[in-house]
Amino acid sequence: MAEEQMVTFSLGSEEFGVDIMKVQEIIRIPPVTRVPKARSYIEGVINLRGNVIPIVNLRSRFGMPPGEETDLSRIVVLQIDSKVFGVMVDSVTEVLWLDSEAIEPPPPIALGMDSNYIRGVGKIGERLLILLKLDQLMGGDGVNEQIA
Amino acid sequence: MSQGEKNMGIDLDDFLEFYLLDSQEQVEKLGSGLLQLERDGENISLVNDLFRSAHSLKGASGTMGFTPIVELTHAAEDLLDKLRQGKMLVTNEIIDVLLAVTDKVKMMLAQVEQRSDISVDYGDLTSQMRTITETGALAQKSKPFAGKNQVEEQEEKPEIDFALSPEETGTVSEAAFTSKSVYWLNVVLEPNTMMKAVRAVMVIQRLELLGNVVKIIPSIDELEVCEALEFNILFVTNESQEDIRADILEVSEIYDAQVTNYALPETDAPEIGLTVQAEEANPVRIEKSVEEPIQMGRSKQANQPAEQNTNVQPQKDINQVHTIRVDTARMDNLINLVGEMVITRTRLVKIGQDLQTENQSDPLVASLNEANVYLGRLMNDLQESVMRLRMVPIGTVFSRYPRLVRDFCRKTGKRIELVIHGEETELDKTVIEMIGDPLTHIIRNSVDHGIEAPEERLTVGKPGVGTITLDAYHEGNHIAIIVSDDGSGLNIDKIYKKALEKGLVSERDGLSESDIANLIFLPGFSTADQVTDISGRGVGMDVVKKAITNLGGIIDIKTSKGIGTSMIIRLPLTLAIIQALLVEVGKETYAVPLSSVVETLLVNKRDIKSVGSLPMVQLRGNTLPLISLKQKFDLPESETINEEVYVVVVGLGDKTVGIIVDELQGQQEVVIKSLGDYLNGLPGIAGATILGDGKVTLILDIGSLLQDILIKR
Repeated sequence: MAEEQMVTFSLGSEEFGVDIMKVQEIIRIPPVTRVPKARSYIEGVINLRGNVIPIVNLRSRFGMPPGEETDLSRIVVLQIDSKVFGVMVDSVTEVLWLDSEAIEPPPPIALGMDSNYIRGVGKIGERLLILLKLDQLMGGDGVNEQIA
Repeated sequence: MSQGEKNMGIDLDDFLEFYLLDSQEQVEKLGSGLLQLERDGENISLVNDLFRSAHSLKGASGTMGFTPIVELTHAAEDLLDKLRQGKMLVTNEIIDVLLAVTDKVKMMLAQVEQRSDISVDYGDLTSQMRTITETGALAQKSKPFAGKNQVEEQEEKPEIDFALSPEETGTVSEAAFTSKSVYWLNVVLEPNTMMKAVRAVMVIQRLELLGNVVKIIPSIDELEVCEALEFNILFVTNESQEDIRADILEVSEIYDAQVTNYALPETDAPEIGLTVQAEEANPVRIEKSVEEPIQMGRSKQANQPAEQNTNVQPQKDINQVHTIRVDTARMDNLINLVGEMVITRTRLVKIGQDLQTENQSDPLVASLNEANVYLGRLMNDLQESVMRLRMVPIGTVFSRYPRLVRDFCRKTGKRIELVIHGEETELDKTVIEMIGDPLTHIIRNSVDHGIEAPEERLTVGKPGVGTITLDAYHEGNHIAIIVSDDGSGLNIDKIYKKALEKGLVSERDGLSESDIANLIFLPGFSTADQVTDISGRGVGMDVVKKAITNLGGIIDIKTSKGIGTSMIIRLPLTLAIIQALLVEVGKETYAVPLSSVVETLLVNKRDIKSVGSLPMVQLRGNTLPLISLKQKFDLPESETINEEVYVVVVGLGDKTVGIIVDELQGQQEVVIKSLGDYLNGLPGIAGATILGDGKVTLILDIGSLLQDILIKR
């Protein structure tokens, strides 16, 4: 029985899951430096122990209304293809095992957000977990070509 | 060479990297040497060098079991051997073939590097070389410089100095009378030979049967302890070179043996050789001092044969440890660590300052600050030393262009001389790696469109041979690289017309000639009527500009009709740690590289006039264009309206621009960090740095800000 281990976090009223192997660490939100002329969903850059890493505002990326930064807000630092970046989330909820059979393909009309970022939907009892496709998050639509 | 096929049964992968580095170096040497040989015509010492390069390439490849490279270099070696024995003359064809060999070997090495099998076809090339070697040898048996044989052998010697005692010199000189030959044997042992001394003794025993062994270097004792895998023997005999070589090779674990004629210094006439020796006490020393001045002091006290012997060996060892190869990743790690230390030190300094304002009288605070100052000095030294590690002479890049120009000349019949200056100018390794392609592009342009055909040149009264000059030198905190040709210059009218056509400029702009010339850096601009396989002038000049801007540099062009064109590239010396001026704009802080800061001004807002869309200010009679960082970076206007604003005047070369900021925070050392792949190439931002308080601050890219303004104008 194949199982996947997930880190789950919340954003507004939704709960999301990412593959734990992609998560480098979870940190509190340090001072973020805005980067002018970068894409709107780039919140800025932070200092992660001497390395400068970009931070994605997931709410803005998924077209959700902006939220307040609270005590529970965190940055999930992800590592994808040896590139490191962080995503800002409202709160990190838990680490759980998910049965592969409990994962369904993304619904055609995908919860009001771009289905490009969704790998599938996981069901845990009554809870619905949106599983994210991370490699599309930063690249995908060409971050580098945005400046004409 | 059958030994080449042997597999040592060890993990070759460990050696592969060293093999590749070394071989690539040898191929480079071969390539540039061949070009020089073509220019010089006959240059025996050069041929000898080439022969040696080919030989070590062959040897190393054999050890690693890369048979194709061995066969190819072997054929090349044969050909070079004919040249160096004077049995053939250097011709363009030979150079062509040998250059083709270097190209093939390069391709093969690239395949080796990718861990794939060597699949480059080299059959024609070896047979071609064989034909030249055989027919050439027959056709020119006359030995064109038999008379210069002495010269040849003297040139050969610097590689090994037998440091002969008077007695030994006597033995050698005597040989000349008795019509015996004096040979220099270079015997190479197989890697991992356990008992090197034993092998050497076996070789010597065999040789004693054939003639008289004068000297062996390193000595048998030294051979056992040192790392050298080869030894040299001075040998007097009646036998032929071939016989001696065959005999040596019968000893097991001998990888290769070279038998070369050996002549004493100044022994054209042996009597003279002896007199010189008597007068000068040590003729060897005299010859050496020319080659290696450092050695002189050492050799002076080394008249005793025994001393001389030990004397030569240490010198060899010293040469071996002069440089070490270090993985760049390790070096980068070291540099990163130093960078972190610089950041931490700034924090310490800040803590010290904060403490001082709180407890002014505390002696502990005073000594903390004192220690901080000292630490700062140490850090500066450390930083400088570490940065030095990354500096590479630009000659490594320049060396590839003679070939480029030569090939093109052969193809088109143009005659061009490439003059290179300032090869020793050092630049950061990263810059070196990135500057090659843009330079290639510029040089191609010069070759293709700059320099006219010889007939055309003659009709306008220029020498038939065109000149392209490649120059590099330091200029303050920058390095300037200049590529200039004495060709026809840019066609300003044509560029202007084209720019008007494309709507890039309007007639009202009133552009100066140099403004128009700079238009070729705009994306998609090309005036080439026909595109050749070399280049189309203008095509891709925007790419060149972009590459240089990415390096934090700036490119400028100067051209005058009929006289020539110069491209001037200015680059920062290093990319890692810089002095920066911190400025405040709105609530944000930015770092301006201090190397580009000319001055700072306090300007009354009323003095800022708008010319077109661009704000300007009068500065000592000149108009200075201004950039408002607030507008540029979409910052909200601050609520408090100041009558005066700070302007940081920045410049690269003779271009200056003023940046409007709210506050100046002071000067600080910052470590440049990349923004990473995701955020690279943002306009106006060169990178980021981490300040003492741990916050990330962005570093302005002055080059791109300047180019922006220049294009807007």
